[in-house]
Amino acid sequence: MSEIRQRWRLVFARDEEARFLSHLDSVRLWERAFRRGDIPVATSEGFSPRPKLVFAAPLQLGMLAEHELADLFLAERLTAPDLRDRLAVGMPHGYRVVGLHDVWVGAPAIAPQLVAADYRMTLLNVEGVELEEAAGRLMAAERLPRERRREARSISYDLRPLLLDLHLRSADVAALPPDAATAPATGLWMRLRHSQDLGSGRPEEVVAALAGELGLAVNADSGDDDESGPRESEPTAQRPSLEIVRPVRERLWLDSELAGQLVG
Amino acid sequence: MTTRTQGQPPSPPHGGGPFHDPPPLPPPAVERILGRVRKPGRYAGGEWNSVQKDWAATAVKWCFAYPDLYEIGMSNLGLRILYEVVNDRPDRLAERCFAPDTDLQTELRAVGVPLWSLETRRPLREFDVIGLSLGFELVCTNLLTMLDLGGVGLTTSERSEADPLVVAGGSIVMNPEPIADFVDAVVLGEGEDVVLEIGDVLESLGWNRRAEAGSAADGEWRRGVDRATALRALARIPGVYVPSFYRPQYLADGRFDRLDRLDDAAPATVTARIAADFETHVRGIRQLVPNIGIVFDRAQLEVMRGCTRGCRFCGAGMHTRPLRERAPDVAIEAAEAILRATGYEEIGLTSLSTADYTYVGEVATELRRRRPEAILSLPSTRVDAFTVELADALSSGGRRGGFTFAPEAGSQRLRDTINKGVSDEEIARCAQLAFDRGWTAVKLYFMIGLPGETMDDVLAIAAISRRVLETGRRRHGGRAQVKVNVSTFLPKVMTPFQWDGLDTTEEIEAKVDALRKAMHAKGLVMSWHDPNSSLLEGALGRGDRRLGTVIRRAWERGAQLDAWDEHFDFAAWLEAFAAYGLDPAWYAQRDIPTDESLPWAHLSAGVSNAFLLRDRKRALAARTTADCHWGPCSNCGVPDATGFACGTGAQGPRDLLVAVGDDGSGWQYVGPPGDPRRAGRVDLSATPDTGANVSADRDERRGWPYDLLGTEMQSKSAGLKGLASLVEAAGGESTG
Repeated sequence: MSEIRQRWRLVFARDEEARFLSHLDSVRLWERAFRRGDIPVATSEGFSPRPKLVFAAPLQLGMLAEHELADLFLAERLTAPDLRDRLAVGMPHGYRVVGLHDVWVGAPAIAPQLVAADYRMTLLNVEGVELEEAAGRLMAAERLPRERRREARSISYDLRPLLLDLHLRSADVAALPPDAATAPATGLWMRLRHSQDLGSGRPEEVVAALAGELGLAVNADSGDDDESGPRESEPTAQRPSLEIVRPVRERLWLDSELAGQLVG
Repeated sequence: MTTRTQGQPPSPPHGGGPFHDPPPLPPPAVERILGRVRKPGRYAGGEWNSVQKDWAATAVKWCFAYPDLYEIGMSNLGLRILYEVVNDRPDRLAERCFAPDTDLQTELRAVGVPLWSLETRRPLREFDVIGLSLGFELVCTNLLTMLDLGGVGLTTSERSEADPLVVAGGSIVMNPEPIADFVDAVVLGEGEDVVLEIGDVLESLGWNRRAEAGSAADGEWRRGVDRATALRALARIPGVYVPSFYRPQYLADGRFDRLDRLDDAAPATVTARIAADFETHVRGIRQLVPNIGIVFDRAQLEVMRGCTRGCRFCGAGMHTRPLRERAPDVAIEAAEAILRATGYEEIGLTSLSTADYTYVGEVATELRRRRPEAILSLPSTRVDAFTVELADALSSGGRRGGFTFAPEAGSQRLRDTINKGVSDEEIARCAQLAFDRGWTAVKLYFMIGLPGETMDDVLAIAAISRRVLETGRRRHGGRAQVKVNVSTFLPKVMTPFQWDGLDTTEEIEAKVDALRKAMHAKGLVMSWHDPNSSLLEGALGRGDRRLGTVIRRAWERGAQLDAWDEHFDFAAWLEAFAAYGLDPAWYAQRDIPTDESLPWAHLSAGVSNAFLLRDRKRALAARTTADCHWGPCSNCGVPDATGFACGTGAQGPRDLLVAVGDDGSGWQYVGPPGDPRRAGRVDLSATPDTGANVSADRDERRGWPYDLLGTEMQSKSAGLKGLASLVEAAGGESTG
């Protein structure tokens, strides 16, 4: 293990070109970017040392992002312009560093500080009016019991405490495939809790819950970090499935940034 | 002209240049499809060192289509090299496309979207040339899938004037007859130079230009020159074979008779190309770095091309002569440059047998010194102490997985027959050494069904495997493991064994059964190949042009991705053969009389037929042929056929490169014979030229790599994540 001399908090965005990377793939890509840029990254302890880069939250395959957070630990101190230049040398296509903050090396780990994340997406094959009603019903519910699959197992949990906010937005017309131009499309925005105790809210779970309210199937255009392909929940043949188009994680929120806004 | 590589802002989509510039597929349409398929990273593009150019400003456009899944295709060094060679030219562009998995095929057909290139998402049919890379017989159906989904006519005769030219290359095209219907031209041998020559010829003819609007009655656009003229011009390029200019004739009993030449432009014999300047010039520095995990996920530097071991079953060894070695300083600089340009943590020093590379010690040592954190891996099939020592030095302080040897045959006699010059004692010693140095698992590669094989030879595989296991037990007790991989001998064209038949399925099964019984022991694991898959591979490998319709029929019946066990549909293939009254067994299993005409006789890899016959005769007498790296020249015919003076025997290739600087130290490359840089450096005529001297010299020199590697390497434990993968390449071309 190399000694840690500096800790940078990177704020970064992910565009279309890197959209279809899994979390593990993107970690490997970043490590190569650091080598290309000759960035003196500190390495972890252990039999096979890894560069010390800690993401606040894994980004799902298929998800775009505008304000992600990662801590990068360096074995040598660099100035911000120097680090920015070196990052520019080798950053993978589709990733943009939008902010750099010198963080105290001894500051608490980043992941446990994460409390919430904002998402937006466009839903195809659903009218705004009915979606708004369904969203209202979800927000008004006391409990939203759901099952989530993890590998072979199925885990029961309550989605409601993870759902902080949910409302409609205008649809992202530019994102619509040409052959779906006539389908009804509605924008959706949500804030989901990230909690050490309760787990993290997943946007596709909220969409699945909405679909359940509407009696629709979901044809998800994302959300497969296990790369197992599209998920279909009870296909009801009458209406086309609810389809998620171009989901974006708008921003991650740390505890200090949202102080007092989260209850419980 | 705008070009984008990494780190630069995107170029404007339409630069307004004079060249063909169709619109790319709309991003939302592509992304919607990608959102529905497994591993969409395979089709998304955007990899590091991928290149996007302005179509309107670029004259000739290639799409390199690799007819297998992304994970296989992106591992291919040839693709990485040619991609750079073409894209380095400002007036050329190369994009990529890989075989889509079945789920993407379904999506594409459902929505009617054509298969696209990864870089700028243009349909395949919009390119000027499709470059097909064929590394394995069983990918031939995938190329049909790709052409079909890319909107390109499947056969030469079905293609429209607007369709791209389909040009194939790669290790299996030494016999391209089975796929001849589907390709407009075939490049034999090494592609680095000829890929540019093809582009130049096509541009000079106006192939990339669109003719005046309205010239086409059918509404299709036309090119500046017709296909036939373009093909006639390509046929004049050395190493380029245009199958449609030849028509095969068969005898009444079904045997191949002869080829009729249909066009004056078509030469009687097409000889494989050899790229210039391999020794001193490295292409493929800015190698593509995949976004998702692939099979060989590392940088690669080819340190040597060709192989002089002369294993008689090995197509690669026979087809890639003459041997050329990279000058050590060139290799070291290139390896560093590749690591820098890719960010890869690991680099493979590749060749058919890297332990035979004269400078492997120097290069590995110097790379360790310069890049102590990088992992080095060296594929090798050689069985000797040097190989173990080398792997040991490279993996000091690191993990020890399995150590791989490829003795290829179980008995001494049969190893002599195939010219794999290694004794039982050497195998045992080698295994002992590997176990002593800390490896607990040894992997052994063998073949069954070799010419002249008896059941005793087969059972000898079990005997030597058990002996190796015993060695391991004494050292590591119950932890010791021996994995035995048994593949089936397949006759490869243009090898001394090209006439010898594949075993029948019953014979293979009987041999495998006998081996399984004889191998039954704790710690001994055996794996073997599907005999049906071998049969098809053998038939396609030695097939003639009649197999084109068979391939098409099998594909229409659903055969594809045949190299993948879960997709292989043998019944579809049998039905397809039967539909045309052909039999895969006749192609694969027959011992062909040496005086019979061969469907690939008009093509040459360099080695002469006389040599192949001579070497086969020695094989049948279990006599070995010397490795011409050290021993005398075996007169394989390559210099005559290719004009490449390899200098073996009298001088030995090593002497071509070994040079000592003026001050008496250091390594310097001084060029091949005839190179003016050699003047005054080395007097070749003064070099002792007897085989014995050269051999003695080799033995004497065997000490140095240990010294260099042993002491210096092992002291550098920090950061050395060694990789003892002298390995997986043994599963590739060289074993079968």
